[in-house]
Amino acid sequence: MRDAYDAVIIGSGHNGLALGAYLARSGLDVVVLERRHEEGGGLCTEELTLPGFLHNVHANYHTFVDLAPPQQDLALVDHGLEYVRPDVQMASIFDDGTALTVHTDLDKTCESIARFSDADAETFRRLYTEAHGYVNLLLGTLMYQPPMSMKELTRALSVFGVEDRSEFLSVKLRRETIDVFLDQHFTHPKVKAHLAFHGAVCGYANDVPGLAMSFPLLVGKIDNWNLCVGGSHRLAHVLWRDLAQHGGVLISDAEVASIAVDEGRAVGVVLADGTELTARRAVISTVDVEQTFAHLLPAAAVPAELAASVEHDLVHQPWSLFSVHLAMAEPPHYEAAAFDPDVDRAWVVNLGYASTEELDADWRAVRAGDLAPRCRPNAAVNSLFDPSDAPEGCYTGLLRQIAPYGLAGKGPAAWDEIGHWYGRRCIEAWRRFAPNLTDAAILDWAPYTPADIPRKLRNMVQGDWMMGEVSLANMLDKRPLPELAQYRTPVDGLYLAGSTQHPHGFITFAPAYNALQVIADDLGLEAWWRDV
Amino acid sequence: MPDIYTSEWYDAVRDAINAGVGQLRSVPEGRFVVAVEVVGDGVSPYVDAATERRFLMEIDEGSCLWYRELAPDEDERAHLDGRVDYRFRGPATVFDEIAAGLLDPVDVALRGAIAVKGDMRLLLRNAEHVASLLEAYTNAVSTTWPLGQPPYAGAGPDPHGSLHQQGAATGA
Repeated sequence: MRDAYDAVIIGSGHNGLALGAYLARSGLDVVVLERRHEEGGGLCTEELTLPGFLHNVHANYHTFVDLAPPQQDLALVDHGLEYVRPDVQMASIFDDGTALTVHTDLDKTCESIARFSDADAETFRRLYTEAHGYVNLLLGTLMYQPPMSMKELTRALSVFGVEDRSEFLSVKLRRETIDVFLDQHFTHPKVKAHLAFHGAVCGYANDVPGLAMSFPLLVGKIDNWNLCVGGSHRLAHVLWRDLAQHGGVLISDAEVASIAVDEGRAVGVVLADGTELTARRAVISTVDVEQTFAHLLPAAAVPAELAASVEHDLVHQPWSLFSVHLAMAEPPHYEAAAFDPDVDRAWVVNLGYASTEELDADWRAVRAGDLAPRCRPNAAVNSLFDPSDAPEGCYTGLLRQIAPYGLAGKGPAAWDEIGHWYGRRCIEAWRRFAPNLTDAAILDWAPYTPADIPRKLRNMVQGDWMMGEVSLANMLDKRPLPELAQYRTPVDGLYLAGSTQHPHGFITFAPAYNALQVIADDLGLEAWWRDV
Repeated sequence: MPDIYTSEWYDAVRDAINAGVGQLRSVPEGRFVVAVEVVGDGVSPYVDAATERRFLMEIDEGSCLWYRELAPDEDERAHLDGRVDYRFRGPATVFDEIAAGLLDPVDVALRGAIAVKGDMRLLLRNAEHVASLLEAYTNAVSTTWPLGQPPYAGAGPDPHGSLHQQGAATGA
C-alpha cells in the first residue's frame, strides 16, 4: 500500500466513488477508503435469503438517472451500467379493490386518475406539464449547485415575477405541508393518498411544514423511477471501474480511525490498523458528520462552537424503514387487477393507504416510537423487470414499512426481538391484496430492521437513510449545519461530500458533484465535466 | 432600426444592456461569457432547419463588452480566456419571438423551451441585473425583420404549444 495520495476520500458510497472518479479524471492521485468489505455504501446488493436471489438492501429506486452528471461524465453506461424504467411505475391498491396506477405514459396515468376524479386527472396533467417544463432547470438550480439560502431564492423569484407564473413556485409553499397543497389542488382522497405516498417513498413526509415546495420535483419525477439491472451494487461497481481506469485506488476493509491535522490543515488519515496515509491536497469525508467531527478529527482541531452544534443541533429523520426481503416462487397477483390489470405490472406498490389522514396517523405513531397501527408497506418485485436478480422462474420481493428507529421505551435493540414477528405482519398485509402469496409461494424471507441499518452502514445514524432530516430547517444552506453547508469545513483541506450535505440522501450524486465544484475551485482544477 | 441578427443589431442590444446597467443598484462582479445557440426549427426564416447560429456575449462588471455572432465553423474558444459561463440553447422561433417582445424569457425558461446551463446561483443572486438584461434583449431595441416578423403566419402547427398562448397573454 502506498502511503501518500493527492486526495484521500473516506467512504465509498456513490458520492465517494463518483467524486474519486472525477478527481482521478482530473489528474489527481486518489484513494477511496472503505470500512466494509466492499464498496458501494447504500448501493448494497446481497443474497439475504437464498442463493441466487439478489436483494437491494438499501437503495432500490434511482430517480435521477437522466439528470445526474456522472452518468455521462464518467461514461457509466460504457462501463456496463444499465437501467430499466418500468412502464407501470407505481400503483396504489385500496381495500375496496380499486387501484390507481402511474405510467411512463402521461395519458395512461391521467386515465387511471380519472377513474376516481376527472377534475383531479386534469389537475394532475396541468401540474405535471408545468413541472416538466422546468423541473430540470429547477434541479440544476437547486440540486446540482452548492446551496443558496431560502432568502436569496425568494428574493430572486420575486424579481423575476415567478410567483404569478407558477403554482409550484409560490412563496406560500415554503410554509405549507404537502397535505395542504394536495387539499388545495385535488379532490379525491385516494388520488391525494397516492401522491402523498410517492412523496413518502422519496423521504418527504406529507405532514411536514414547508415541504410543499418540493412538489414540483415530486410531480415532475413521478414517472422517472429506474431499476439498476443486476442490482444496485452494479452502479457501485461501474463507479469503481471508472475510478480504477483513471488511476484511482479503492481500499476496502480500511477503517479510518482518525484524520491527521497539522497546523489547522487536514494532511492525511490513520487507519484502524495503524497505517498512516498522507493527503497532499485534500481529505474528503463522505461519512456522517458525527463520525467526522466527533470521532475522526482530533478534538483540538474542531472549533468549540462547531463541536457543540454537532452534539446538539444535527437533526435526523424521525422515522426509518423496516424492510422484508423475499425469495418468491411467483409474483403477486393482486385482486385489484380485476379493476386495473396494470397493477400486476406495477413496480412500486402502495398497499392500502387510501387517504392522507391514514399516512398522517402513521407518521405521528412512528415519530412517537410506536409501530404504525396497521401495516401498510409498499411492495416491489424487481424481477418483473430484471429477471437476472433471481433464479429462473423465481422472483425477489421487497416490502418497506415506515417505522421508528427506537421503539418507545425499549430502544432500537427491541427490533431484534420483534423483527420476525413484524416481518410476518408485513407479509400478511401484502397477502391481503395478493392472496396467491401463500407460504408455498414464499421460499424464504428475511427482515431488515431499522436497527440493522446503522449496523451495516454506520453513517446512517439512527437508521436515517437520508442522513439528515428532510425539512425546511435542514435544507439548502442549513444542511447539515450552516457552517458546514458549502462542502468546506473549518479545517483547511477537509471537505464534506456525503449525503449529509445538500440536497440529501438518495442516489442523486449531487453532494459529490457540488463538492467537486468547491474542491476544483480550491485546488485550481480545470472543469472538464458538464454543467447541469 | 437595425435588422435582426446583424452586427448593428448586436451593437444596439449591447448599448441597451449598458444603458440599463446604469440604473441598477448592484451588478455582478467579474467577467462572464454567455453563449446563445439558436437552433433552426424549420419555422424561423432566419436560421435554416437543422443548422444553428451561435452568439457570444461578454459581460464585465455588469456591462456588455461585446456581443457577436460566430461563423458556422468558428471555434468559440478562440474568443475565450476560460470557458463559457452560461449557455442558452433553444429553437429559433422562440428566440425570434423573445426578441420581438412576443414571448417572456422567464416563461420560456420555466417551460423548458430554452435550456439554460451554468451557475444558476449567480443568475439568481443578480436577478435585477438579469431582468435588466432580458428587458434590453426583449423590448429595448427597435428591430426590423427583413425576412418576416414573428409570429410567423402560415408556419403550420404551433411548434411550442402553450408558449404562444402564454406569450400572447404576456407579450406585445
